[in-house]
Amino acid sequence: MSTTTRPAPVIRVTGVTKDYGSAVGLRGVDLTVNRGEVVVLLGLSGSGKSTLLRHLDGLERPSSGEVEVLGESVPRLRARQLRRLRGRVAMIFQQFELVPSLTVLENVLTGAVGQLRGPRLGLGSYPRSFRLRALAHLERVGLLARAYDRADRLSGGQQQRVAIARALMQDPEILLADEPVASLDPESSRQVMALIREIAADDGLTVVCSLHQVDLALGWGDRVVGLRSGEIVLDTPTAGLSKTKAMEIYGRVTTSTAELQLEFTGALL
Amino acid sequence: MTATLDRASASLAPGRPPASPIAPPRRRVSGARVAGWLAIAALLGFGVYSIGGLGLDASYLAHASAKLSQFFGQTSNTITFPSPADLAYLTGLTLGVVVLGTLVAALISVPIAYLAAANTAPAPWLRWLGRAIGVVTRAVPDVVLAFSVSLMFALGSTIPGVIAIGIHSIGMISKLFADAIEQIDEGPRTAIRAAGGSPAQQFWAGVFPQVLPAWIATVLHRFDINVRGSAILGYAGVGGLGYAMALAFHQFDYGRGFGIAIVIFALCVALEIVSSTVRRALLGIQPTGRGLGDRIVRAATKGRRAADAPAGASARPTAVASSAAPPADLTGLLRRPWTRDRVRNTAWVVAALFFVGLAIWWAQIDPNQIMWPQVAPVLSSFWPPSFGSAGAAAVFTALLETLQVAFAAALVSLVLALAIGSFAARNVAPNGWVRGVARVVLTALRGIPELIVALFLIVIVGLGAIPAFVALAIGGVGLLGKLIADSFEEVDAGPERALTAAGATRTQRYAAATLPQGAPALIGHALYLVDTNVRAATLLGAVGAGGIGYYLALSAPQLDLHGEVTTLVAILVVVVLALEGIAAWLRRVFG
Ligand SMILES: Nc1ncnc2c1ncn2[C@@H]1O[C@H](COP(=O)(O)OP(=O)(O)OP(=O)(O)O)[C@@H](O)[C@H]1O
Ligand SMILES: [Mg+2]
Repeated sequence: MSTTTRPAPVIRVTGVTKDYGSAVGLRGVDLTVNRGEVVVLLGLSGSGKSTLLRHLDGLERPSSGEVEVLGESVPRLRARQLRRLRGRVAMIFQQFELVPSLTVLENVLTGAVGQLRGPRLGLGSYPRSFRLRALAHLERVGLLARAYDRADRLSGGQQQRVAIARALMQDPEILLADEPVASLDPESSRQVMALIREIAADDGLTVVCSLHQVDLALGWGDRVVGLRSGEIVLDTPTAGLSKTKAMEIYGRVTTSTAELQLEFTGALL
Repeated sequence: MTATLDRASASLAPGRPPASPIAPPRRRVSGARVAGWLAIAALLGFGVYSIGGLGLDASYLAHASAKLSQFFGQTSNTITFPSPADLAYLTGLTLGVVVLGTLVAALISVPIAYLAAANTAPAPWLRWLGRAIGVVTRAVPDVVLAFSVSLMFALGSTIPGVIAIGIHSIGMISKLFADAIEQIDEGPRTAIRAAGGSPAQQFWAGVFPQVLPAWIATVLHRFDINVRGSAILGYAGVGGLGYAMALAFHQFDYGRGFGIAIVIFALCVALEIVSSTVRRALLGIQPTGRGLGDRIVRAATKGRRAADAPAGASARPTAVASSAAPPADLTGLLRRPWTRDRVRNTAWVVAALFFVGLAIWWAQIDPNQIMWPQVAPVLSSFWPPSFGSAGAAAVFTALLETLQVAFAAALVSLVLALAIGSFAARNVAPNGWVRGVARVVLTALRGIPELIVALFLIVIVGLGAIPAFVALAIGGVGLLGKLIADSFEEVDAGPERALTAAGATRTQRYAAATLPQGAPALIGHALYLVDTNVRAATLLGAVGAGGIGYYLALSAPQLDLHGEVTTLVAILVVVVLALEGIAAWLRRVFG
């Protein structure tokens, strides 16, 4: 569907370097993502995946280079404009990052703070229409029955689905996900990845998702971007990349994800 | 091999520059450590010197025991209590003032902690402002505040008491609350920031729910302290049990005074039990601690989670109809069901509101008691600071006296607490029975309202520093002992196990593994006790223990001496900051 429409870049990163002083997060990264694309970021721990994603949401400022998201220059935005942009870009985290003592429903509602003025605390502080939308999103991720449970009573996979509902609450155009399944078991991982893919297709979202697992990435994204030591070393559509061919690239057939990663970096070297 | 290790440790600590790859990972005996040991030796030395300087000798002990036995001989059969109606009235007055004062402080502390916490402070200078407010309010004893502001109110008004408690308590509540804010999990807050939340939205949706239990626990803790302190506030004319007791002692009606002291004592114990029960219930809501209750709650929720799993698994997200959810179904779900959690939380809120309403009624707050023409003169009387009639030399001698009481009491507490607290630690106690006894002893000691004991001793044995020293030394054992036991239980079990495996005896293990690992926490806790002792000794000075508190009590009730109050408070602020600075430095050196 998205492949038939004319490509329109919603993310354009040019020559971005992030120097933390003690370490270099990103080195001269160039990346363009078109509307509706599902991009997977692959790379070893410390390769700069999180750093890159955080730049796209204005949580970090580049040391040099330009980050353009939805037509706005992220590093140049003032606080209020940046908050408005962040409202259009949703983010999902490895550790879910729900407020543990709040109900599931209120956690979902916190995704809407960008559309509201003033601080909110307690379900009653959100308008009724927002609460209805939040319930609808919970239904969509299959957790309507748990709306009034405390968030920390849910399993990891369920919590990540709540986080997805929170992201949907933003009505986002772009969805950023930082290793969304790295702390989940295989079955929950499968569910969460399927859910993200399904929602992206239905809502026409642009997705940038970092992953550890190579096998998961190949079957899932439209395009794979490989990072190593803060540099982009691979950028290729997954369409032409069959599983067996991928295995050829990475060397021999391996069994564990950890080994795959090693092979993967080996290929990148 | 070494290079790999170094790289690994460097990447674990991204904030620090990577260590030189050639340097072996050996701990150097740095100059800072030597200085740290010297500082500790100096502090201990000052403690020993202080004990010597108190004048606690055989003749004093003989005098004191004679006075005490005379008192008990005379009053034990003449103890009288106020009539039940009077008692209820006085208790209500005391509770009303304490509840309202603590509540005022609790509310003001939220914005101040927001400014003072490193992760929420909007700007560095505001952070300093927030901390400065905390330090200054903590340094001014509530008695002094009550004396100073009472000139603005009609005689017998309780508002000075509320203001005194309200201002003085800000220091502790805002500090502990700011600490709690600094320790939150930043993740949920980042998630709300990433969703476009403003700083205020991040705080109320992402930070405050995380620190709410800590805030309530701190406020309840402070409430306990304030109930104990209310006996002293009575000496400053704030109505209630403390005032009635002071009055009785002034009229040499020792039987009645002692009776009221017993009532205050019982009230403290009862409220301590109530507030620690509430605190424990609160911790149960957030089961992250190591306590028994926490573990039970965690086990219970784990069972529940397991029971939920099949239901969660059956609700396959891929099978869920996507988008276009029928809103008609959902409106019914807008109403939050009355789960056990919700019933319990609502009950707590209703009870708290009821209690506050009761307090307002009890405290008899009346705006007509404010004498408006006096407000501006009183507020402006604190400037400029001066040394008043006493002179700088006398003030600094008095400061030394106060410090001596604080250090001497802390040293005695430290020795006793180390003994009892060690046996209260699970990994040191030879068996559960010893540990249980040690824990009970510590709890009982913590229940002693040391300020009231000190007051009582001052009244019976006579003015001077020794009653304050005795009361603080005993009171400190409970607090310090518990802190020591907890921090010993938290030391890394690895080295202990290694020594056990190597055939070390229990004592060897304690000396070689537990004590060295627990030492940094021990130093921190001991200095914390010195810090609270300085405040308490100042407070007790105001009611007869001498020292800097004596001059504060002398100058606070008189408008033309308020410049001296400012000077004395400034001196106390410097002392308290110096102690905090030393504690922070030692934590850095040995931490
Ligand atoms: N706040 C920071 N301060 C200093 N260095 C940082 C900071 N954040 C990231 N880095 C450094 O930037 C580099 C890239 O880190 P990043 O977190 O982006 O990696 P990652 O690919 O997400 O790794 P992981 O798979 O472990 O999450 C690392 O060397 C890291 O140490
Ligand atoms: Mg990462």
